Amino acid sequence: MKKIVFSVILAVAALSSGSAFSQAPDQADEIIRGRYQAILADCGACHTAPGAKPLSGGRPLETPFGQLIPPNITPDKATGIGNWTEQDFRRAMKIGIGHDGKRLYPAMPYPAYTKMSDQDIGNLWSYLRTVEPVFNPVESNQLPFPFNIRLSMLGWNTINFEEGTFKPDPSKSSEWNRGAYIVQGPGHCGTCHSPKTFLGADKTDEALQGASLQGWYAPNITGNPHIGIGSWNEDEIVQYLKTGANAHTIASGPMAEAIQASTSLMTDEDLKAIATYLKSTEGGSAEKPQPLAASDPHMTAGAAIYHDTCSACHGGEGKGARQLFPALAGSPLVQQPSAETLVRLVLNGSQAVATPEARTTPSMPSLGWRLSDQQVADVLTYIRNSWGNAAPAVQPSDIAGQR
Amino acid sequence: METHCLKRPTRRQFLSSVAFTVLAASSGPVLARSISGSLPWEARSADPPIQVRPGGWLFFTPEEVSTMEAVADRLIPADELSIGGKDAGCVVYLDRQLVGSYGASSRLYTRGPFMPGLPTQGYQAPDTPAQRYRTGLAALNAWTRDNKGGKRFFELSPDDQDATLRDLEAGKITLADNVDAKSFFNLMLSNVMEGFFADPIYGGNKDMASWKMLGFPGARYDYRDHVTKHNQPYPLPPVSIAGSTEWMTR
Repeated sequence: MKKIVFSVILAVAALSSGSAFSQAPDQADEIIRGRYQAILADCGACHTAPGAKPLSGGRPLETPFGQLIPPNITPDKATGIGNWTEQDFRRAMKIGIGHDGKRLYPAMPYPAYTKMSDQDIGNLWSYLRTVEPVFNPVESNQLPFPFNIRLSMLGWNTINFEEGTFKPDPSKSSEWNRGAYIVQGPGHCGTCHSPKTFLGADKTDEALQGASLQGWYAPNITGNPHIGIGSWNEDEIVQYLKTGANAHTIASGPMAEAIQASTSLMTDEDLKAIATYLKSTEGGSAEKPQPLAASDPHMTAGAAIYHDTCSACHGGEGKGARQLFPALAGSPLVQQPSAETLVRLVLNGSQAVATPEARTTPSMPSLGWRLSDQQVADVLTYIRNSWGNAAPAVQPSDIAGQR
Repeated sequence: METHCLKRPTRRQFLSSVAFTVLAASSGPVLARSISGSLPWEARSADPPIQVRPGGWLFFTPEEVSTMEAVADRLIPADELSIGGKDAGCVVYLDRQLVGSYGASSRLYTRGPFMPGLPTQGYQAPDTPAQRYRTGLAALNAWTRDNKGGKRFFELSPDDQDATLRDLEAGKITLADNVDAKSFFNLMLSNVMEGFFADPIYGGNKDMASWKMLGFPGARYDYRDHVTKHNQPYPLPPVSIAGSTEWMTR
């Protein structure tokens, strides 16, 4: 009997701690707003490993400098951020210095989060306090010498980092400013989509113009009409971010994950603001290069492969089928300077992401078994230079590395 | 008056039937599962076919190879329309089929009782295709040796081979070892045709010869661009599951 009483007490104690509703009522709004900040900032993308408890530490990030493991940011005192103060958290978000003065690596996108408002960071902190604490020790720093010396980030910050909250541009609409805030701040779009310097910092003068990371090419998402998203209207951009698919394309790879965990859960107003801002950005030459001649031997071989292997879904003229098979003709992704993502899609196949508004997940089969490196290169060269598309030819050596 | 009613099960019977039901339900692999969220998907998952390549014989002996090649070349002779059955690889196709599940009937019900059936019921005897070829080809050569001047089938002139095949087809020949001449002929005919018309990945239909002859476009499955183009020839060449020579850079 004693045992039963004891376990009941234990259960009640467990239920009452860690629940949002045990907080003071005036905090509830703050926590709900903070949860939305966690969606905007997509904390889970890095800090939640597949199948693990939310924010209890992520799967390893492969950076050009070595491996980093995103830490446990649940309120667990021993292995999470349970010992942090709100002041510690603000410093981490604003200037990349954590508890006990430990310097964070900029894989944690504090160069973007520094633009977040004090209120948004405060709300996010309130929310993080309510997450279920999970005991999960993570050794984040897996970098080789000399990158494993955290103090070196002092120098990095001097060169690459500018602290400061986002400053609205009074000459633009409030919608544009909201979009710019999300894209540059919590949304940290540039972390993937902006080209990097040799030190791994964003090239601010080429922001959002496309970059390679973890075996994918995050495409140009500026308003460039040829290789950016300039040819999509705002509703199409919103639809893409909300559902993972629109009339032109279907998301794949890390963007599919970002859509599932983050953008599909954003409000329509915020998605509209993001679309307004992105369409206003400029990036890269608006001039289209000349396509390769259709008589080029790689183009004729590529055409044969295309018609025998790809056209059944993507259509003889590369038009695809709405919401089901992405169009290749006129696709900005197809015409990026790098074909890295395309190679990956052909070799691995791909599956569309399931979002509340698009639950069917059409998928592309893996074709790596059917095509040699030369054939993958030729068929990609063909789709990059047909139906009005124009982009550099793909070489077999671009494929070998991804096998 | 006698009343008929079901006997109530004893306590022991009831318990053991429950135990049996539980045991039956829990043993063996669970075939059904429920899926929520998105459909299961894995990168690079593929079940690629294995391309059969000529070279070496896995089932046939050299004498059987010569006999089958002669049969294939008489059933599908080389002419102005296409290459012959031998050059098309029909015997390579058959050789690989006979060492696989087809040869062993491993995907058919092959237990008795064995009764003579109607022609529409198909083959009803216990022998597997591998066994039927082994005894059938030996019986065919034994018959020609006894009736055609000591020669084996492949040593006969083409005209003699045709005459022998015609008699086999008509059931006019009695073969040794209880081999039914008519059904053995039909077995060879259907297998040679399979080799000639099946996808080249299975070893026959070399360079898609039969598909080119027919104008069959091969392993394609979307004709939306052509379905409204009436009375126009389909422009694309045939393609195998494994690809096409058009895919090579020239």
